[in-house]
Amino acid sequence: MQLRIHKEKCTGCLICTTYCSFQHERAIWPAMARIRIEAETDSGPFSPQVCRQCNAGRASQGALSPCAEVCPVDAICINEANGAWTIDAGLCTGCGACEDACPFGMIVFDGARGLAFKCDLCGGDPTCAAMCPSDAIEVRST
Amino acid sequence: MFPYKAYAGKWLHVDLTARRVESHPYDQSMAEQYLGGNGFGARLLWEHVGPEVDALAPENLLVFSTGPLCGTLVPNPGRMEVIAKSPLTGIYGDANAGGFLGPELKFAGWDAVVVTGRSDGPVYLAIRDEEVEIRDADALWGLTTSETEDTIRQLWRDTNVKTAVIGPAAENGVLFSGIQITPQRSAARCGLGTVMGSKRLKAVAVRGHGPIEVADPARFYEISADLHRRLRANPIFEAVSAHGTPGIVSMMDALGRFPTKNFQMGSFPGIDSLDAEALEARAFVRHLACFGCPVACDKLYTLPDGPFAGTSLRSVEYETLNAMGAAVWNADIDTVLEANRLCDELGMDTISAGRAISFGMELWEQEILNLDETDGLPLRWGDRDVILTLLERMARREGDFATLLSRGVRRAAETIGRGAEDYAMHVKGMAIAAQDGRAQKSMGLAHVTSNRGADHLKAFPTIDETGYPDEARRRYGEAYLPEMAQPLATKHKPFLVKDGEDFGAVVDSVGVCKSGGTFVLAEIYWEDVAAAVEAATGMAMSVERLKQIGERIYNLQRCYNALHGITRADDRLPRRFSEERSPSGNAEGETIHVEAMLDEYYALRGWDQETGWPTRAKLRELELDEAVDALDLSPDRQSLE
Repeated sequence: MQLRIHKEKCTGCLICTTYCSFQHERAIWPAMARIRIEAETDSGPFSPQVCRQCNAGRASQGALSPCAEVCPVDAICINEANGAWTIDAGLCTGCGACEDACPFGMIVFDGARGLAFKCDLCGGDPTCAAMCPSDAIEVRST
Repeated sequence: MFPYKAYAGKWLHVDLTARRVESHPYDQSMAEQYLGGNGFGARLLWEHVGPEVDALAPENLLVFSTGPLCGTLVPNPGRMEVIAKSPLTGIYGDANAGGFLGPELKFAGWDAVVVTGRSDGPVYLAIRDEEVEIRDADALWGLTTSETEDTIRQLWRDTNVKTAVIGPAAENGVLFSGIQITPQRSAARCGLGTVMGSKRLKAVAVRGHGPIEVADPARFYEISADLHRRLRANPIFEAVSAHGTPGIVSMMDALGRFPTKNFQMGSFPGIDSLDAEALEARAFVRHLACFGCPVACDKLYTLPDGPFAGTSLRSVEYETLNAMGAAVWNADIDTVLEANRLCDELGMDTISAGRAISFGMELWEQEILNLDETDGLPLRWGDRDVILTLLERMARREGDFATLLSRGVRRAAETIGRGAEDYAMHVKGMAIAAQDGRAQKSMGLAHVTSNRGADHLKAFPTIDETGYPDEARRRYGEAYLPEMAQPLATKHKPFLVKDGEDFGAVVDSVGVCKSGGTFVLAEIYWEDVAAAVEAATGMAMSVERLKQIGERIYNLQRCYNALHGITRADDRLPRRFSEERSPSGNAEGETIHVEAMLDEYYALRGWDQETGWPTRAKLRELELDEAVDALDLSPDRQSLE
C-alpha cells in the first residue's frame, strides 16, 4: 500500500495533519503529524509530503528502506500486511539516525519523549486519505 | 486547576503601558458561563471597560480570543474573535476572522491574549509557545500588512509564523481599520484595528508546537468525522466549495437584495461582470481553505493583464464585490480586485470603506457636495480613479474630505449636514453590509438588533435568504413553513433572528465558522455543537444549557450597549428603507417597517418594549444579577413585570 499525492488538488486545509496526529497521539498536534504540507506561499501551491515507504515492495527479498537500513537497533520493520515501515517505540532509542537518513524529511522526532515517529499507514486505513476533502491523497495498493 | 480539556487552559495579559506580560489560568466559571471566544471577550469588556472609557484610550481592552473547538477536528475550526469597545460606533465591538492564527495560538498554549494600556513607541508581541515578549516595532511601523507579516517572518526565519497585523490606516486613526489575520483574512468590522493602532501594537506573531487534548477522544473523533461526512453530503456543499461567497452574487441580485448605488436599488445592470462566473473567468487560480475546513470557500485570484496586471489576492468575498462594485456603480472587476487589495494592504474594512465612497457619490449626485468640499474630486458613480484615490486618501487621511470619510458615514453625515444624514446607510454608526431589508425582512430586523450595529452576521438569517425549505423544516418543523423560508414574509422572523443571534454567539464562542457548516450550509446546529463541546471539553453540555449560554452572551452585550445609552430608539433602519420602495427584482415595490417585528422580538427576548433593555426577570434567569444593578433596573422601572 502506498499514498499517492495529487498536489494540485490540495487546498492547504491541514485536515490531514490534524487527523493524522489524532490517530497517532490522541491529540490534535500538527507538529507531530506524520504528513506535512509544504507551501510555496500561504496561498499555495501546496505539496503534501508523505512517507514513500521506500523499497517496501522488495522488502520480502530483504530490501530495506534508508531509515530501516541505518537503525542501529532494528526498530524499523516492515508490516507485511500493508507494506508500511513501522517504528517499534519499545525498541527506539531516539538516536536520530533515521531522521538523518530519510531523503524526504519524513521522520518526526520528538525531543521531549526522545523518540522517532513515522507514517505507518494507520495500520492499513490511512486517515489522511480518508479525511482529505479534496481527494488529494489516494491510497494505492502495491 | 482548570478542569476542562480542549482549552489551552490559560490566557495572556499584555499590559503595554507597563510593558509586562502575565499568564492567567482560564477561569472555570468563565468557560461554563461563556464558553470562550466571543463570550470571553464580551464578559471582560463588561467587567473592565465602562461607558466612561473612550474606545481609543489606553483603558480599552483588545481581546484576541479562541474557543474550545478552535484548532480541533470538527469542520472549519479556524476562527478567532477580536473584541473591544468600537471607536466607530462607541458601543460593543467584535470582529471574527478565519485563517490559521486562532489554532496556532492554541498550539502555542494560549486560549486568548488580552491587551491593555498603550506603548510609548511601536511594538509587536512575539509568542513562541511559552516564550512571550513585547518587542520594538519601529521598523514595522508604516509598513503595509503583507510587508509587516513578511518582515516578521524574515526576522524569525520561519515562514510558518501566523500573525495579526494592522496597516497604515489603523496607525493613522481611520475609524474602520481592520486587523489582517494570516493568510489575508480580516477581522474587519468595528474598527478594532484602530484600537490596536491606538495601543501602538503593530502585530501579534505566534508560533506554536504543542497539542490540544480532548476529554473523550473516541467520541470526539466520531462526532467530528461524522460532521465532516454530513457537510460533504450537504446539497449545497459543492456550490459553496466551488465558488465561495461570490457564488451568491447573481442570486442576491435577482432577489433585489444586492445594494446598488448606495441602496437606491437592489439589482445592478452590470451584474454579469461582477458575479462568480466573471470573477473566475477573469482571475481564478486555485481553491484555498482556512484551517481544518473541508469547504475551502476561499480562492486565489490573479489578474493576468490590464492596468492592474499581477494583482494577486485571496478572500475576495461577496461583500467586497458589492461594496467596491454595485454599491459604487462599478462594473469593472479589475477595479474591484485592486480596491480589495488596497484595503487589505492598508488595513481597512472593505465594507465600511466602500460604503463611505458610495455615500460620497450619492451626495455628489444629490448636489449636496461641490468640488471645493471634495478636495477637487468629482465623485462620479463608478469612476475607477475616484474609488482608488479615495481609498488611498482615506487610509492616509489626506485632505479634509477623505479625512471626514475616514470617520465613517454617520460622523461624516453629521458634519456635512444639509440632509446628508438621509444617505448615510448605517445602524448605530456601522455601515450596512450587502443586504437590503426590503428584499429580506428578517435581515432588516437583524440589522437593527445586532449588538455591533448594522450587521448580517449576528443573526445571519440564511434560512429565508434564498429559501431553504428543507433546512427550515429540519430546524424548526413543518409548522413554520412556508413563511420561514420566504424572504418577504415577516411571520416567524423575530424568532429566526433571536435563534440565530443566540446560536451565532455560541458559534463565535466555540471558535468555528458561520460560513461553513453552521449557517451557510445550515447543517450543524445546537445538538451538534453541544455534543462536540461535551466530548471535547468534558463539560456536561445539553442543548438547553448551550442555548442559555448563547442567550446570556447576547443579553450581556445588549446590557453593555444599554450602559452606553442604546435604547429601542436606536434599533432603527435608515429612512430610505421605509420610505423608498425597492425598484428591484423580487423586492420590487417593497419597503420594510421593523416596528411590529421588533415588538415580537423584544417579547421573545424578554426585553422591555419601551426601552428595549433586558428585564430584571430575564437577567436573573440568565444569572446576570450584576447587570440588574448596573442598569439600575429597580422593579418600578419594569413595565413588563
